[in-house]
Amino acid sequence: MRQILLVTDGCSNVGVSPVVAAAQAYAAQITVNVVGVIDHGDLGEFGSSEIEEIARAGGGLSRLSHTRQLSQTVQMMTRKTVVQTIQQAVSRELKQVLGNTSIEELPPEKRGEVVRVIDDLTETAKLKVALLIDASASMKPKLAAVEEAIRDLAISLSSRQGSSELAVFHFPGSAYGEDCMLDLDWTSNISGIHSIFPRLQMRGTTPTGPALLHVIDFYQKADYGNRKNDGTDGMMSDYVV
Amino acid sequence: MTTSFEWSLPRGSIISGKWKQGSYRVERMLGEGANGKVFLVERAKYYYALKLGSDAVDLQSEVNVLQSIYKQKEKRGAKPGLFLVDVDDYRAADGKEYPFYVMRYIKGKTLSDYLQSQGKEWFPVVLYNLLGKLAELHEAGWSFGDLKVENVLVADYGRPELVDYGGATAFGKGVRQFTEIYDRGYWNAGTRISDARYDLFSFAVLCLKLQEGRRLAQLSSGLLPQTRTPDELAKLAATSAALKPLSGWLRKALYGEFASAREAAAAWQQWMHKSGAPSKASAPAPRWLKGLFALSAAVLATTIYLLLRTAS
Ligand SMILES: Nc1ncnc2c1ncn2[C@@H]1O[C@H](COP(=O)(O)OP(=O)(O)OP(=O)(O)O)[C@@H](O)[C@H]1O
Repeated sequence: MRQILLVTDGCSNVGVSPVVAAAQAYAAQITVNVVGVIDHGDLGEFGSSEIEEIARAGGGLSRLSHTRQLSQTVQMMTRKTVVQTIQQAVSRELKQVLGNTSIEELPPEKRGEVVRVIDDLTETAKLKVALLIDASASMKPKLAAVEEAIRDLAISLSSRQGSSELAVFHFPGSAYGEDCMLDLDWTSNISGIHSIFPRLQMRGTTPTGPALLHVIDFYQKADYGNRKNDGTDGMMSDYVV
Repeated sequence: MTTSFEWSLPRGSIISGKWKQGSYRVERMLGEGANGKVFLVERAKYYYALKLGSDAVDLQSEVNVLQSIYKQKEKRGAKPGLFLVDVDDYRAADGKEYPFYVMRYIKGKTLSDYLQSQGKEWFPVVLYNLLGKLAELHEAGWSFGDLKVENVLVADYGRPELVDYGGATAFGKGVRQFTEIYDRGYWNAGTRISDARYDLFSFAVLCLKLQEGRRLAQLSSGLLPQTRTPDELAKLAATSAALKPLSGWLRKALYGEFASAREAAAAWQQWMHKSGAPSKASAPAPRWLKGLFALSAAVLATTIYLLLRTAS
């Protein structure tokens, strides 16, 4: 299972539309979640509708959150998305086996078995989460909270039974013309890392779309080496429902 | 957090199941949370608590947990009281179907309300009983996960029951639901992998919350994420008049030094006996005595009831 979690506080203003980029991610079997960080109600109506659109195109969730609730929000969205992805895969499988039946329509005993499978997979399926952090000037005072949320997420991920990795990017990159920069490559343990965002040079532009494409690229490069990726296909093979 | 259905059910409404046709009359709402609403209901002169959810998978997941805890207790030869009574779907007035389950009704107050109304002298015994509840659950291979003041209801004579098994997690898996301030991960005191120590950590925070609620809140909001440590919690305990005698016990719970809830309960009991019953000789009509009168009155009432019934 592959997710991108975009953390932003404003509107994109350069390059390809982030909604189009999110649709591309979804096509590449990567779910895109978006958190809008609002501390003084500075996201604006325009920004809120953009994050909603990005999440919808990316098959994920969008939420507004104060920095104080950021850890909880990130935590909840990641988990919810895992459950949903698995639920969708299980539902597809069910339809194949039982015809047009949804989980809700099953009698309680059968539903119990199916949900047990969903819960099992939620805990054991491979999971990768790429965090993409908006580091434009207005985000500066919020980065400490972002870092805390990332560390908190890392604790939860490393407590899962299934293998879980995260990577961190910020955008725009420090050099001109750089849309996005990798801060932390795939890892399952970040407790040894002192600072995730060392000395960022804040710039004014917000190239959300190009940054998303960059992360999709990064995912796909990692795929070349190990084909048969960790998509949800074949996940059900261990189970006979 | 809001539930995804906004309506409620007035007193007298009937909730009936689509699959098994069990039908329940609504008395009142008991509470609500992220996963649904809980109603006090009646069926054939018995009261139950009925949890109505909006997400079938979430609710079923809770049901599965309750069922496997029950089975594991049974396998170990314990005679578990039946907690889960019925599971079904209800077609509401809006035409949609909502899943529900029915469980034993726990007539009680939340832990903090109980101590407030009955007096802090109940603290040692209620919390000792709670450790026993946790031990039972642990012996079946589960941690409770989301242990907090709101999820402990206390019935008469200091008998606690756990409610909301949404966080209950089989040992070895990632804790499914937790609340920051009670969470071992939040305090940089370990992982979120379910084990007995996870609950014992939350239990220690629960004690702090009950006795030093305000200072605990100040502590957690005043510290930076890196400086949140179990040491800070232990210091708070050591400087609290109410918790000082317990501070050694709390320290062990915070550092994961108890191997099991049974061991922790034994240590708690030792402390309870050492410190003696906190009854003061001068106190006029101690509360426990009143309790005793209430008890014998209840016994009398039951005897009369039984007599009348057999007579008719
Ligand atoms: N068996 C019971 N007997 C009496 N009251 C109950 C029972 N179960 C639940 N309640 C009451 O209903 C409230 C809500 O129930 P519960 O916590 O299970 O809901 P939830 O949606 O899971 O909440 P949360 O958001 O905490 O996960 C409880 O706080 C409690 O006061």
